[in-house]
Amino acid sequence: MNTKVLMSDKQLIKQLKNRDRNALKEVYNDYRREFFKFANRYETDQSTLEDIFQDALIALYENAQNGKLDTIKSSLKTYLFSIGKFMLFKKFRDSKEINVDDDYVFDQREKSVMQEILEDEGPNDRQKWLVANFKKLGEKCRRILELFYLQGLKIEEIMAVQGYENKNVVKSQKSRCLKSLKDLIQRKDG
Amino acid sequence: MDKEELINRYFENSLTPEELSELEQLYSSNKEFAEQFDFEKELKLSLKKEERQELKSLFSELSDENPLSTKESKTIKMRPWLMAASVALLVGISSWLVIFNNGSRNHDELYQDYFAPYENVVHPIERGQQLEDLRTQAFIAYENQDYEKALMLFKELHDKSNDTYLNFYEAISLMKLEKHEEAADLFSNYISTNGELKDRAQWYLALCYLRLNETAKSKLLLKELITKGGFKAKTAKKLIAELE
Repeated sequence: MNTKVLMSDKQLIKQLKNRDRNALKEVYNDYRREFFKFANRYETDQSTLEDIFQDALIALYENAQNGKLDTIKSSLKTYLFSIGKFMLFKKFRDSKEINVDDDYVFDQREKSVMQEILEDEGPNDRQKWLVANFKKLGEKCRRILELFYLQGLKIEEIMAVQGYENKNVVKSQKSRCLKSLKDLIQRKDG
Repeated sequence: MDKEELINRYFENSLTPEELSELEQLYSSNKEFAEQFDFEKELKLSLKKEERQELKSLFSELSDENPLSTKESKTIKMRPWLMAASVALLVGISSWLVIFNNGSRNHDELYQDYFAPYENVVHPIERGQQLEDLRTQAFIAYENQDYEKALMLFKELHDKSNDTYLNFYEAISLMKLEKHEEAADLFSNYISTNGELKDRAQWYLALCYLRLNETAKSKLLLKELITKGGFKAKTAKKLIAELE
């Protein structure tokens, strides 16, 4: 496997961190065929492979946002395929974990993200309801909460990105937004 | 450290082990703190799950558009007479299935499994605009899953605009409101105009027919999608298999 970090990898990782869907589409299209070929050794059902490939991409996306690819030494492809392999083993041979030389060594946080994605069966009603109300918030609120919870930016980073005066302004804005969300939920609940 | 800071730093993943045990301590002793913490955790998880679903439907569209050509897609060369004979046989078999097979799985169940409203791809919404025109309002309602309101607004727009894609989204709102006959009419109209979302409309029309128990019509549309090999071709194949 090619282990060099390519220039285009760096660019893609940066875009993934910014939740750029087009970058994710590009990774999907670039590696799908090859992934199927690679994973066929472990599992041959095509729709299972498609599921795993999709889960692996989501794990790549979330780990990029967690900053796990910031200083990566291997290529994006090696990383993605190692996720795929991890997931295949988790799914079919829970007990055994086989490590091959070129495999990426994941840390605990990366593993728990992968595990969570494998087990995710979609939002329940309460979670859907929460998201539906979240979507009713104003642009500013949705932006700050998404940056914090989804993109994993620190309060300080949000300050810089969004041009807030200081950390306290971000903090109080965030807590105001959470309050509005709670109000929205309670209004319909009661 | 104040409580809010403690929670924020938890999500920033930057608590020291001592601070983490401080948080655990507060969590078990202070009800208000525990509620706030749980709320934020639930919000984060909900947003993640929502996003994962969005990504998956994005991927599924990609996979529908570019089916992996494996063994199945090797071209088979047939003599014309054989071709004609196989077509006749296929037609025979499928009409037999249509007439005699009323489906093993409940159509309503299948419908519920397969129906998800199409995302707004025609009118991106920049929230926070001071002036929201009728179209934006309609799509905001649509995205917020307020289909009653969306329907009302789409209808209003109907008279003022020639954009046929409005019919498409109006029809999906109708489906959500269980008005499948009206929806089917609109989809048929839309398809006849050869609109950009024609494939999509065929898929949803097939689902309408499924719901209305007009299985033959539904299958015909699904087959057309499979032949085209584009949008939802794979899913259509799966659905048709379950219908048969």
